[in-house]
Amino acid sequence: MNDPYSVLGVSSNATEDEVKKAYRELARKYHPDNYQDNPLADLAQEKMKEINEAYNLILKAREGGGASYRGHTGPGRTAAGGTPESARVRAAINSGDLRLAEELLAGFTARNAEWNFLMGSVAYRKGWLDDAMRYFQTAVNMDPHNAEYAQALAFMQQGGQGYGPFGGSGRTMQGEGCDACDICSALLCMNFCCCR
Amino acid sequence: MFGYIRPLKGELTVREFERFKACYCGLCHALGKKYGFAARFILNFELVFLAMLIWDENESPVMKHGRCIASPCRKKRFCAGNAALDISAGYSVILAWWKVRDSIDDEKFIKTIPHRFAALFLRRAYKKAAREFPKFDSSVRTQLKSLAEYESSGGESFDSAADKFARILSSGVPEGIPESSRRPLAELLYHTGRWIYLVDAYDDYKEDVESGRYNALIRRFPPEDGEFPKDGVKSLETTLIHSNNLISAAFELMPENPWTQTVENTIYLGMPDVLGRVLNGTWLRKRRHDID
Repeated sequence: MNDPYSVLGVSSNATEDEVKKAYRELARKYHPDNYQDNPLADLAQEKMKEINEAYNLILKAREGGGASYRGHTGPGRTAAGGTPESARVRAAINSGDLRLAEELLAGFTARNAEWNFLMGSVAYRKGWLDDAMRYFQTAVNMDPHNAEYAQALAFMQQGGQGYGPFGGSGRTMQGEGCDACDICSALLCMNFCCCR
Repeated sequence: MFGYIRPLKGELTVREFERFKACYCGLCHALGKKYGFAARFILNFELVFLAMLIWDENESPVMKHGRCIASPCRKKRFCAGNAALDISAGYSVILAWWKVRDSIDDEKFIKTIPHRFAALFLRRAYKKAAREFPKFDSSVRTQLKSLAEYESSGGESFDSAADKFARILSSGVPEGIPESSRRPLAELLYHTGRWIYLVDAYDDYKEDVESGRYNALIRRFPPEDGEFPKDGVKSLETTLIHSNNLISAAFELMPENPWTQTVENTIYLGMPDVLGRVLNGTWLRKRRHDID
């Protein structure tokens, strides 16, 4: 493993606060919420793991303390979706085999809410964001009580999840400073645990 | 290309801004040196952005001073040529060539005369660039062809139209890039292409409605009194912010290089700023080559 200090981007004589601050910033950046259903989610996860290990190593070396980011899995497409054919599509999407997922979906007999939801998921993975949103919308219209469909639609309607180094999240970044409150609220929103 | 992908000048430090200008001039010099005088006129911000992205992480930019056609009296600072600038220069020529060819095929003969002249000047440069970057050349050709087919079939999904253009950009990941950054770079370029295509389609919307030309947004957002429908703007903005967020997410997975801060500014501040200006109508296309 790389030098834990260089992983966090601080010098080896950084104060505890500096280490903590650098760790939080990186954890905020690579948080799974920013990579929900993202084709690069595996890379972000590796990065997160590296950061956690570095942080824990530094804390341990300094005082034997321990802390870590609480594992969190995004909504993903892992939830069982009822029928075996839908489960096969979900497995294909999760493994990144979008062509197979599309073939399987073309063979569905019922174009029901689940089918629309899965079509939306494939479109999302391809980066076809507007198509994805419209499929999710149809899924929600057909089955308004399904929480998974509603969550996917809400995610699209807010334009995804953005990390913003200049303060705030991805959408309204006009170079305003990033104050402590912003960070706290962002961390709270992200269900982030900064316990020590 | 379009000049949409640029840093927000007011948020760059003076030093970063001077270096960015030197990179822009460096690409111009690379174009002139490799592809001749005429090639310099196809310089654009998008390809400067690409050069900054593919810049070797261990290579600090080397600065030189010199005169050029744009500044014949006063010497200006520019980045000395390197692999990243050479690749961007080659891609610029290939993209410019196919854009000109595309216009010749699309318009009536009389309107294509300026394009035919441009093609004349670009032909040799194009042949050279295509020999050097055959994969990129064939990808541009294939995707533009499939885009033209999709457009003439009056395709409904703007994502499907944007996909062809986005694939041109994502096929620009050069050979020498380390494996760990290939996927993030391809994803970043894909969504940058999607974003550019859709921003440009919005910018052309009114003109295309008037002239009856294809525009990827018309089917999804039918015009109201010849204008883009007001309640559609929010949807379009959301989907573009989403692409911007995916660009950031991919960017954060790439290793740092000497241009990281400028690229970060471009993605997090420049693109939202340009999008805002295009959507509220204050973007001036004729100033697309101006840095500020």
